[in-house]
Amino acid sequence: MTSIIQITLKGIFRDRVFQGIMALAVLFLFIPSAASLSMRQVVETSITLSLSLISFILLLLSVFLGATSLWKDMERRYTFSVISLPVSRSSYLLGRFFGLALFLVITAAVLAVAALLAIKFAVLMYPPDRPVLWGALVLALLFATLKYILLVGVALLLSTVSTSFFLPIFGTICAFLASGITQQVYEYVHMPASANAVSPFLKSAATVLYYLLPNLAGFDLNVNAIYGIQPNPNGLMITLGYFLAYTSILLGAAALLFDRREMQ
Amino acid sequence: MYAVEIRGLSKSYKTKKLRTVEALKGLSLDIEQGEVFGFLGPNGAGKSTTIKCLMGLIRPTAGAASILGCDIASPQARRQVGYLPENPAFYDYLSAEEYLRFVGKMFDMSPEDAARRVQEVLNLLELWEPRKRLIRTYSKGMVQRLGLAQVLIHDPEVYILDEPMSGLDPLGRALVKEIILDLKKRRKCVFFSTHITDDVEKVCDRVAVINKGDLLAVDRVENILERGVEGYDVTAASADGQVQELFVHKEELPSFLKQTLDQKLAIEKIEPRRKNMEAFFLELVAR
Amino acid sequence: MTKRAPLALLMVGLVSYSLLISPFASYMRNKPIAEKLGYVPSIKVLKPLSADHKEFVGASLVLKVTMYFGGLIGKMQNGRLSEPADLQGMSRLLHQAVRLDPYNMDCYYFAQSFLTWDAGQIEVANEMLKYGMQYRSWDWYLPFFAGFNHAFFLKDYPKAAEYYRKAGDLSGMDLHIKLAGRYLQESGQTELAIGYLKGMVRTANNPAIRKSYQIRLQAFQEARRIEVARDLFAAQHGAPPATVEQLVHAGLLDPKPSDPYGGAFYLEATGKVSTTSKFAFATGKK
Repeated sequence: MTSIIQITLKGIFRDRVFQGIMALAVLFLFIPSAASLSMRQVVETSITLSLSLISFILLLLSVFLGATSLWKDMERRYTFSVISLPVSRSSYLLGRFFGLALFLVITAAVLAVAALLAIKFAVLMYPPDRPVLWGALVLALLFATLKYILLVGVALLLSTVSTSFFLPIFGTICAFLASGITQQVYEYVHMPASANAVSPFLKSAATVLYYLLPNLAGFDLNVNAIYGIQPNPNGLMITLGYFLAYTSILLGAAALLFDRREMQ
Repeated sequence: MYAVEIRGLSKSYKTKKLRTVEALKGLSLDIEQGEVFGFLGPNGAGKSTTIKCLMGLIRPTAGAASILGCDIASPQARRQVGYLPENPAFYDYLSAEEYLRFVGKMFDMSPEDAARRVQEVLNLLELWEPRKRLIRTYSKGMVQRLGLAQVLIHDPEVYILDEPMSGLDPLGRALVKEIILDLKKRRKCVFFSTHITDDVEKVCDRVAVINKGDLLAVDRVENILERGVEGYDVTAASADGQVQELFVHKEELPSFLKQTLDQKLAIEKIEPRRKNMEAFFLELVAR
Repeated sequence: MTKRAPLALLMVGLVSYSLLISPFASYMRNKPIAEKLGYVPSIKVLKPLSADHKEFVGASLVLKVTMYFGGLIGKMQNGRLSEPADLQGMSRLLHQAVRLDPYNMDCYYFAQSFLTWDAGQIEVANEMLKYGMQYRSWDWYLPFFAGFNHAFFLKDYPKAAEYYRKAGDLSGMDLHIKLAGRYLQESGQTELAIGYLKGMVRTANNPAIRKSYQIRLQAFQEARRIEVARDLFAAQHGAPPATVEQLVHAGLLDPKPSDPYGGAFYLEATGKVSTTSKFAFATGKK
């Protein structure tokens, strides 16, 4: 499996994805000056901009790399030459997944360093009222990375059943959008006040979706990082467990489906 | 133990209109170790389907198969196999050298072994020079040769080649035939599909003919060629030195020979006139 | 990797998921307010990022606030909120939403519903309504709200009358003008509020908002009941009552008035009916 991970990483780097990211990362240089437009919270704004930029880059990567990785292998018929080697399909799939996950981690780490430098600069130029919680900032980045790794799992699962890249790409984007609001929708339909307004069907549909779709709102620690609020360690552990469980489900299902997939 | 053993292998597909298409109907074949076996059939006969089943790329609807006694459902079955897909494609962001090392690793070769073998096979297939170029810059023929390099790198016992000659120029074809004959000398099993009868005639020990998913014939190449003899072209000289060329039917040969003895004719040359593999194949498929 | 590994992975995942999902869900439900309303990038960032989906992004901000508020109202018990509402955050989000899509009526409607009594930010609400009137020039609701705010909270009757007239012109009904005219004085305050709230309850289609209006209407109806009793007491005794209890003892108030916000009604020195809850949920003032 390690060879597959290596090949995956090599492929991403050779496709100049990293250079593209670095080009986008140049934007970090502008963050301190852009943030100085804010009247009362320069540092907070720099943190916001940094986190949003990293999040955006990771989202693009997870959706496009995750959705096209397997699809490209099948479309370009690489699978014929690779799946026929003495490697199980599950190993191949997991190798791909861990390769992509590793790439996200590397990217997030590099971007995090850039972001921390930009924020440090902002702190030096405009000392904030509240000290910046560097730990919370790193945690926010870590959980954002986990969130997008989980999204890669969604994309891989969808590409094991799809013959085109439409389903994986759009499906992953939809899952991402939905995952941010399932919590609110769930709470909304389940409160007593909406009992009359929400039909039972809608209510059960929302419940099913709530348990089926990934709940990525829990990985969002941006507020903690921006306003220096200590995150709840217990909650973080549960979120981490949730990440592991959900990712295992995604990968297990993807491996089962990929195993049954016919390479035409 | 057979190199490849196929028992009642069937494969049917559902088309988009929900019609079932039987690509392969209960194929059974045994391929001995050390033999070169040709799998002959027109396009769409089920050759690739059979090979893809063997390589675990698609699942047979019914039947079973094993390679060197190991069931094809397990990835272990592919450990002693070199497989060349039809119109192969390889990770185009790697160089030939990197790709072959990757393949070597997948076959659990040590890095030193792999490095040595990579050099050997790249030299053999005349890819040593461009070995550091990315595969995406290769021509079709180069990719095909890289495919053969990948097949050879771990020196397996069984070679399964899907249309190995396609996409190659005459020089490349000659090279492939040479490689197959060399493998035959080294008592390896080669199972290859083709729709070119000439290839079969030149290199194979045995051949199977398949059409529309049905196995039509399996026989030794020499038997087919022998059975195909229709008669003989005879060049004979009479006592006075007059040379004549005659065609003698197969069944008339004994009487003809007797006749020549009686007439004191000197036979200078007898050549069998026979249907070649192509005629045999066309006849079978047309039936 | 063996054949069974994917299945095993799936099973392990499903088991741990089912073990974890309820603690996770309860952790998510009980996350503190600021975290739950979520952080939204500043409008300077949001606007260019929304590209040609400004209306959509605006609408989803409103939706976010509505869901949040709905959740709060849903969990309310005995007129007490389980946690203080993040009114500031709600207001911030709504202001961003109108910057993205100044035509989004939901924003104004919703802002009006909580910025006034709950947040006490009358000026902010009026500014927002004024901003909206530039765009939704056909909409009588906005001047209607503004008129009410001016009359009820600011006691600026001329200004209120002006807005009510505008609402009347736009709606083509002179009901608003009449309604306003009748109550545009200090003594008509409670009835003004009742009239306004009745209308709001009738037209609200969001359950949470309707509920919040209903509760407020109930409070004002109670206040009105006390007012009637007060006037009756004055007529009978020739002097105004000093306390609400006095009215209850005199048998003029039955049942005893109760404030759905959990406060207690009392009579101001001027005789005006007030409540300790100030007609708003008991929340920590932000």
